[in-house]
Amino acid sequence: MTDPSSAPHPRVSEISTLVIGGGIVGTCLGGFLAGEGDDVAVIDAGWPAGSIANAGSIHVQMQSQFMSDYPQYIPRLERSLNLYRQAVPFWKRFQDDLGVDCELRITGGLMIAEDRRQLDFLSKKCRREVELGLDVAILTRPELAKLAPYLGPAVIGAEFCPAEGKVNPLLANTAIRRWANGRGAVLLHEEPVLRLELEGKAFRATTSRGIIRAGRVALAAGFASKDLAAQLSIELPAEADPLHMNITEGTTPFIGHLVQHADRPITLKQLGGGQVVIGGGWPAGLGTPGTIPIVKLSSIIGNVSLAQHIIPQIAQLRIIRTWAGINTFVDGCGILGRIDAVPGLFFAIPGSAGYTLGPLSARLVADCILGRDPSEDISACSVDRFSAP
Amino acid sequence: MSAMDDASEVGRLMAMEGRSMTGTVLLTFEGRQIEGRQGESLAAALMAAGERVLRVSRTGAQRSIFCGMGVCQDCLIEVDGRPNQRACMVKVDRPANIRRQRFGEERAVGMAPMPPRLIGDVAQEKPEVLVIGAGPGGLAAASAARRAGASVLVVDERPLPGGQFFKQVAVEAGGVPPDRQHREGRRLIKEVERAGVEIRRGIEVWGAFAPCELAVMQDGTIRIFEPRRLIVATGAYERAVPIPGWTLPGVMTTGAAQTLWRSYRRLPGQRVLIAGNGPLNLQVASELAAGGAKIAAVVETAPVPMPGSLHALARMFGASPRLVLDGLRYRTHLLRAGLPVLYGSTITRVEASGNALEVSVGASAAGPKSAAGRSFSVDVVCMGFGFHPSNEILRALGCEHDHDAMRGQFTTRLDAETPGKTTVAGVFALGDCTGLGGARVALAEGTLVGATVAADLGHRIPAELQRATQKAREDLARHRRFQAALWQFYAGPRLEFELAAADTVLCRCEEVTLGEVDAAIAAGSPSIGELKRATRVGMGSCQGRYCGPLVSAMLARQQGCELDERFCFAPRMPVKPIAVADIARRSSA
Ligand SMILES: Cc1cc2nc3c(=O)[nH]c(=O)nc-3n(C[C@H](O)[C@H](O)[C@H](O)COP(=O)(O)OP(=O)(O)OC[C@H]3O[C@@H](n4cnc5c(N)ncnc54)[C@H](O)[C@@H]3O)c2cc1C
Ligand SMILES: Cc1cc2nc3c(=O)[nH]c(=O)nc-3n(C[C@H](O)[C@H](O)[C@H](O)COP(=O)(O)OP(=O)(O)OC[C@H]3O[C@@H](n4cnc5c(N)ncnc54)[C@H](O)[C@@H]3O)c2cc1C
Ligand code: FES
Repeated sequence: MTDPSSAPHPRVSEISTLVIGGGIVGTCLGGFLAGEGDDVAVIDAGWPAGSIANAGSIHVQMQSQFMSDYPQYIPRLERSLNLYRQAVPFWKRFQDDLGVDCELRITGGLMIAEDRRQLDFLSKKCRREVELGLDVAILTRPELAKLAPYLGPAVIGAEFCPAEGKVNPLLANTAIRRWANGRGAVLLHEEPVLRLELEGKAFRATTSRGIIRAGRVALAAGFASKDLAAQLSIELPAEADPLHMNITEGTTPFIGHLVQHADRPITLKQLGGGQVVIGGGWPAGLGTPGTIPIVKLSSIIGNVSLAQHIIPQIAQLRIIRTWAGINTFVDGCGILGRIDAVPGLFFAIPGSAGYTLGPLSARLVADCILGRDPSEDISACSVDRFSAP
Repeated sequence: MSAMDDASEVGRLMAMEGRSMTGTVLLTFEGRQIEGRQGESLAAALMAAGERVLRVSRTGAQRSIFCGMGVCQDCLIEVDGRPNQRACMVKVDRPANIRRQRFGEERAVGMAPMPPRLIGDVAQEKPEVLVIGAGPGGLAAASAARRAGASVLVVDERPLPGGQFFKQVAVEAGGVPPDRQHREGRRLIKEVERAGVEIRRGIEVWGAFAPCELAVMQDGTIRIFEPRRLIVATGAYERAVPIPGWTLPGVMTTGAAQTLWRSYRRLPGQRVLIAGNGPLNLQVASELAAGGAKIAAVVETAPVPMPGSLHALARMFGASPRLVLDGLRYRTHLLRAGLPVLYGSTITRVEASGNALEVSVGASAAGPKSAAGRSFSVDVVCMGFGFHPSNEILRALGCEHDHDAMRGQFTTRLDAETPGKTTVAGVFALGDCTGLGGARVALAEGTLVGATVAADLGHRIPAELQRATQKAREDLARHRRFQAALWQFYAGPRLEFELAAADTVLCRCEEVTLGEVDAAIAAGSPSIGELKRATRVGMGSCQGRYCGPLVSAMLARQQGCELDERFCFAPRMPVKPIAVADIARRSSA
């Protein structure tokens, strides 16, 4: 099996569909389109972004941290909840298509509370999510002691969402690239699109290596889609959100679930190799465009000490690496589908837990591109929401 | 166990407490009682007791000390219930219960949670000048900056100052007095401390964050330094040459064996074979032989010295007669003791056979075929194939580096006019961490950089220091000439992974083999990052220090490019692994 990206760099000058951005969404999109006979190229700058840096948590329940930071976006978040719910079974089927075990494990996820106030918040959130059709429940301390004995004494209760879990992005990214290439998508790497213009009814992309003309363009470049869209006079409030991650050395598995906190930024889980991955939204510094974001000592201290506070058994493990990646922040919901103003232009920006939503989002956008009705309602994700009065 | 103090200070304190410095300390290893000597490392005590298997890896492989200097992380043991203690860095100073560390047993069962904390809770210091590394380079820099009036703090992760060249004797037991090199180091340390420089021992710098924020471990908790000027003098570590069997207990770097002897007066084993390239191997062979070891052979990749190399020798002599005489002395010792030096040869494989190691020796590309096919049965194999600069802190801070293809190392890009000035404001560097130059070069650079930093901070350079910098400039030129000639003298094929078989482990920590890396490159991992993600090569506890340079070279070669920083693992924090508890803990353990 040859990894596509190693092939001598192909020259593409005309293509039916050009997908700009080769993260999980762009690459999946390329694979889906190519699989149905479209002549498609996925072009990627090789810049730091979400898919190569993410923590591999499979998220479903609403992020309480996000809800308290951005109460104005809760309605948007609620409208995208169904996509999260559908994204998990989609990921499972997708992994089967890939034919590779990407360590996708639906273990269930716990959002823990340390005090009454946090538990009340979770209870309210839980009731609302049940109304919206989610399978979630509040667990008391004795129930947790049975389900998750590794949790420390600070935890008094939690919201449990059985649909959550984890996947190993290192394995998945490689598998997805091979799959997309195998289906006939051309993958262009380390080639940023510098300018995007309309040329008659088609598009003209000026890249670092030349000009590519395309009948259709899908923007799957995460936050960088904002600048590209601006060149076509479209306003896209997708912002770079640099985030911090930590990982420990491996040990025997003992943390079964995806663990989050009701009131503090943390996600924590154990990978197949026994490493504990600790993240959850601590900030990193943004470097100059195209360079890796800068790890902050303050985030290591805050994030890691919080992790041992809720799971004291990790105390003797050593942090072996930290890194930062750039997520894309919108408004609690992705930007998916077409835009009336520019026929042939599509958006494929998945929303904040975009690794979970990635394959499904790509499928839905592929349907739009192929002129079909997508299987899920994506009206909440329309780009038109930003221009509506 | 606490940080070590200077041996004599320990002695004074212990005399006050009514204990004897030469005293022994009872240790328990896996239930067996062994005797440690006050002041030595746990690794030294364990090796002396014949306990070489310290760690059992994920795949069940046995591991022991390799680097002997805190870099490889292969010597991890559990001390009094605390896992992940580096046997080579922990000092014997009280009875301890030691266990072999088996993969998967690192969990802290029953440990009480600590409250979460934020950066504001962490102790901070803002020294005027912070020097990382108390080797010859760091000490010389500290001394010069201090003499110009700067206030200077030196930190070093080792229990005793002196770095590699001036490593001090840490035990009084053993009965072998310090030699000239020890004494010279001791004078320098005293001089630096007398000038009013604070040297903090046992302080590991584990993080370096831009612009100039350093995170360290001190007394069981973390602490932050934000110096006005930073001087990095972190030295070098030994390069890896993977051969079949190089991860077996008993195979260690030449430097590891040297530290056992020079600092702790322990022999790594009775029958020793030393292999590699360069003058350190002869020196260590001669030292170990004098200490009572039986040196089976010194195996040198460079060809037999020829008339051409005598020319290099003459130039070395012109530059530094004393160093050449030292070298000849080691050589004569060995000849007199009847020890074979096999030139143009290399070890090709090590196999365990009972308690012994069977070593095969073959011709290196430079050698006659005569060496081929010989084998030796020994207790210990030392590998000394040269060094790589310890530039991880500099790289993390964003200082730029260039590849020196001739010497096969990355060198720190330094200002042509201002000694030690890196491409990052406020950060200065010198000595082996900027590119290998040896102790004499480090000393001279230290004086120049220390004075430069003091002047940069607005201090006036006294006449005495001006004279010293003038002399340092001359010394530097002379010792650079010496080094150039030395490396010409020792010019041999630079081995990388030529001797590794498909199933030879390249990445010691993650146990990734050459075959796996080859396959991933053939399958087209286009970048070093991809290769790492695809195979886990370089993802382990040593942070890719050993496999990184090999894999970078492989990848560059495969893509037909000159090696440069693009092919190196991106610098990542922490530069040394740090326990979750150490980050969370508020005060001393
Ligand atoms: C640290 C971190 C942890 C995360 N953890 C999780 C998690 O646990 N679970 C989860 O579901 N989600 C997580 N996320 C979010 C998730 O990673 C992202 O939402 C998702 O990967 C986005 O995928 P994408 O394909 O839309 O875009 P990205 O992966 O961001 O890819 C965009 C691509 O566009 C390319 N590009 C940009 N500009 C150009 C240009 N001009 N020309 C060509 N190419 C260009 C870039 O090179 C990049 O490869 C995390 C994100 C971060 C940063
Ligand atoms: C194992 C070994 C043995 C050697 N033996 C000899 C010899 O016998 N003769 C000879 O001529 N040359 C020897 N060398 C070469 C040696 O590097 C130089 O001769 C000389 O010591 C270089 O001086 P320096 O000041 O640049 O670095 P060093 O003397 O290496 O000093 C660097 C110091 O920095 C400290 N340090 C590094 N990283 C950190 C960190 N993250 N936190 C805190 N402290 C840190 C180290 O503990 C060390 O004490 C040896 C090198 C090695 C690696
Ligand atoms: S031998 Fe202790 S870290 Fe290498």
